[in-house]
Amino acid sequence: MKYFLLICLLFMASLIHAQETYSISGTIKDQSNGETLMGATVYLEGTNFGTTTNEYGFFSLQAPAGNYTLTISYIGYNAVKQEVSLTKNLNFNLELEESSTALDEVIIKAEQSESISLRDPQMSVSKLNAKTIKQIPVVMGEADVVKSIQLLPGVTNNGEGSAGFHVRGGAADQNLVLLDEAIIYNTSHLFGFISVFNADAIKDIRLYKGDIPAKYGGRISSVLDVRQKDGNSKEFDLNGGIGLISSRLSAESPLFNQRGSFLVAGRASYAHLFMPLIEDVQDDKISFYDLNLKTNYELNQNNRLYLSGYFGRDGFTLSDLIENNYGNISGNLRWNHVFNDKLFSNLSLIYSKYDYRIILDFIELDWLADIQNYNLKYDFGYYVNNRLKLDFGVSGISYKLNPGEVSPTSETSSINYLKLDDKRAFEGAFYVGAEHELSEKLNLNYGFRYSYFSRLGGQPISQYVNDAPVVYNSQIGIYERGEVASETYYKKGESIKSFGNLEPRIGLSYQMNDQTALKASYTKSTQYLHLLSNTSSVTPLDVWTPSGPYVEPQISHQYALGYYKKLMDNAFSLELETYYKQIDNRIDYIDGSDLIGNNNIETEILNGEARAYGLEVLFRKNKGNLTGWLSYTLSKSEQRTLGGNAGGPGINNGDWYNTPYDRTHDISVTGMYKLNDKWTFSSNFIFQTGRPVTYPNGQYEYEGLSIASYSNRNQDRLPAYHRLDLSATLTPRKNAGRKWKSEWVFGIYNVYNRRNAASISFSQNRQTGMNEATRISIFGAIPSVSYNFKF
Amino acid sequence: MKKILYILLSGFITLVSCEDVIDVDVPTAATRLVIEASLDWEKGTAGNEQSIELRLSTPYFDTTSNSDVTGASVVVENLDSGETFMFDDMNDGSYTTSSFVPVIGNTYELTVVYQGETYTATEVMTPVAEISNITQSVEGGFDDELLEVNVYFTDPADEENYYLFRYQADYETYASLYDLSDEFVNGNEIHDFYEKQDDEDNGERPFQAGDVVAVDLYGISEAYYNYIRILIEQSSSQGDPFSSLAAQVKGNCINETQPANYAFGYFRVTEVDKRSYTVE
Repeated sequence: MKYFLLICLLFMASLIHAQETYSISGTIKDQSNGETLMGATVYLEGTNFGTTTNEYGFFSLQAPAGNYTLTISYIGYNAVKQEVSLTKNLNFNLELEESSTALDEVIIKAEQSESISLRDPQMSVSKLNAKTIKQIPVVMGEADVVKSIQLLPGVTNNGEGSAGFHVRGGAADQNLVLLDEAIIYNTSHLFGFISVFNADAIKDIRLYKGDIPAKYGGRISSVLDVRQKDGNSKEFDLNGGIGLISSRLSAESPLFNQRGSFLVAGRASYAHLFMPLIEDVQDDKISFYDLNLKTNYELNQNNRLYLSGYFGRDGFTLSDLIENNYGNISGNLRWNHVFNDKLFSNLSLIYSKYDYRIILDFIELDWLADIQNYNLKYDFGYYVNNRLKLDFGVSGISYKLNPGEVSPTSETSSINYLKLDDKRAFEGAFYVGAEHELSEKLNLNYGFRYSYFSRLGGQPISQYVNDAPVVYNSQIGIYERGEVASETYYKKGESIKSFGNLEPRIGLSYQMNDQTALKASYTKSTQYLHLLSNTSSVTPLDVWTPSGPYVEPQISHQYALGYYKKLMDNAFSLELETYYKQIDNRIDYIDGSDLIGNNNIETEILNGEARAYGLEVLFRKNKGNLTGWLSYTLSKSEQRTLGGNAGGPGINNGDWYNTPYDRTHDISVTGMYKLNDKWTFSSNFIFQTGRPVTYPNGQYEYEGLSIASYSNRNQDRLPAYHRLDLSATLTPRKNAGRKWKSEWVFGIYNVYNRRNAASISFSQNRQTGMNEATRISIFGAIPSVSYNFKF
Repeated sequence: MKKILYILLSGFITLVSCEDVIDVDVPTAATRLVIEASLDWEKGTAGNEQSIELRLSTPYFDTTSNSDVTGASVVVENLDSGETFMFDDMNDGSYTTSSFVPVIGNTYELTVVYQGETYTATEVMTPVAEISNITQSVEGGFDDELLEVNVYFTDPADEENYYLFRYQADYETYASLYDLSDEFVNGNEIHDFYEKQDDEDNGERPFQAGDVVAVDLYGISEAYYNYIRILIEQSSSQGDPFSSLAAQVKGNCINETQPANYAFGYFRVTEVDKRSYTVE
């Protein structure tokens, strides 16, 4: 409550400043293709009146009457200056021209104008554009969003070939991944080797590692906001690429006399076409495809409609034993409406679905599961005056989860039909966020999000003896399933349990001088949907489960402090951030938990907590032929689970222990060197402390076999991970007058062929009887070549 | 189900990865007593001959230690009838009796006294359905070109049942264990198969005519199922990216003197149908 009063006070204070002012508003686009530019800087030279464009390229700023020079700049584009005489409200729709050296000038988009970047209280955010992502060397030459963000401080993966990513010591399911606002539940193709984002269809990526704006909610670790291109509204455009694993083709074109445009981008693998030729794998098949669609239509200057869609699918067949396929589908219909020069709005209706299916021929079993949601969202941006901008909105999400449906594939199958209970839930939220300039040096972001979650009926819920779904067997010292006392059936639409949380968010920046700023932030966030996984890697088969009678929402409090410095006229920049994060209600798994095909998942889990803290350093070289960055993270991520209602000491005797995503040191160096117009070289070096794992601490004979005994969880570590990647891009000389542009990208992943352990497994060799440690390493040195073209 | 997940993902992993055996320094925990007390009543026998093995745990890579435990006292009591069975120390780690009386549904208690510490465990004797048929086939199993042995039995419909399969061909040094719950197959005729692959690294070869395969089907308790399930999973796959978190597997043998010093192993009392099949 105190917090709320403070916000009101600040808000009132800003209104007192109101005076005779006029507004300048409009949309900023790319001249060549009409794509709206997100995050372009618009300011009046010699003043503090400035702003940046929103997700739809819209901006609005206010200034007292007078004559000004309006400057619009965007990284990689030539700045535009225009004299304006502000005697009435003005509307500008401007287009920026890409600068010729844009290709490799800047890697991570530095904020446009130094002054604005240092003044913006937003911290802990990383931005990448598709161009940058395409330049970073990756395995098999596939440009990859998720692999690229892992080169930034505070972001790691869970070993090669694993699907998720981890931000500031958080779990993979704690990342909110949005593609054109639609939730993407599984970010990977090929069980984690490639991410689902086709770089040809993507305009802009933002990763919020902390200081998450109030408009985002539902996950506690980070937000990865991926925006698709709108499609070229000027001319027909064809892009494509041929790589080792997959090929891409995308087409963009104006529609309705340049009042609209569309984008269709497809990508498909073709390794499965060659697999029949190789004897070892001739009956196997592995493939994926995805399709991105987007179209928009401008009804008039104040109204624009967008429709976007994504369809992705993976297939995997292991001779005639196993057939597996999975994928995401999402769609979003949006209506941008400008009420007036100060009030912008966007209404979105969004659908997302993730499903997977496994058919096991050898036991004649067919398994299906999915999660889907509808989301209606209405967001507003209100440019109150030149010192205050408000974002506010409401959102409602309806979830339906089918945790599993098992059916026999033949009449002779010994499998019985089984349908786990569908789970339903509603998540609602409203938020207000303010960007507030208190003085020339001090800027504030503050706001709150109120989230509400209700687990809905349509299923029975078990009650347990002593209200304990898990009980501690103190005689043996293990956790066991609780005894079901009764069962209550909840009707559809009836609330089983509901939660409400007020999530304050606040950030401030203090600009010490033109080169230096300090920022601080606090974010509370809540997560109501959890991915249950008791394996060390995220797999496509992991089960999402909503909060409810036995699963509390995860609540995170994150505090961050940052120091930012531009050096030598922004040729170099340094960013230092430290953070501390406390997470309540982190789910942990009892020993031997069985999550698959389980209707009563609460009998396998305990409620724990987690904490993470660290220091992140990002040093960049922004100018010249050689650009790049060095990122270093020193961090700790731990969890603790006490017995609680179940009794007993908890997991690992109730002591704090390393989460699987704890990395003490994480270093990456990325460099790009432009030799001449033909050749560009780039390189990564990565070093990481090994992943926490559990090694055996003894063995004994049982049933004639050697059985390993294990110590406490995650007390050991895999060997350190490191590798070097190189790539070279050859752009053949362009024929003047020809629209055809092409480039060759040659790469070597893991140049010195380090056999990084993705895992080490322990087992008894059945021939010699000796115990062995077997290292599984996924990628050795892998050369790649791909050919990209644009027409 | 976990087994299935494991097969699926390890199948994928083997397509893209490479494996090698390396040296790893592993921690060494203090030694524990291992109680392998498996009182299995073979169908068609009196079940009076029983043996219990006592050993010590050893460091993970240790191959030389003699881990046999001698000098312990081992007693089993039928708590329903009050009858007690003394097991004699054979001085090689095994303790035997020839007077055991198995009764389905009765509760038995094991008491082991070793170096002044008393370990106890209780378990109810679980029945098992009879194996109805054993066949061989080529089509079927994991590989359509290799022989597998098929085992059929009918699961009782009105109860929860848990099974342990133990397969061992006469040329194999080590048995293969599989656990099964009737959760997905309650009341049905259940089919399981045992197939050997061509895997020289592991000394494995496909079945051929003349191989004799021992097939044992145990009826086990739910608690033992939960124990052996984790044990089997850990002994086959631990540490793979898709395997479950490594767990401390605790059996049902409680150290009454010093609870923290619990014993490894398990006191199980089961009925077992043992067959043998000669591959044609």
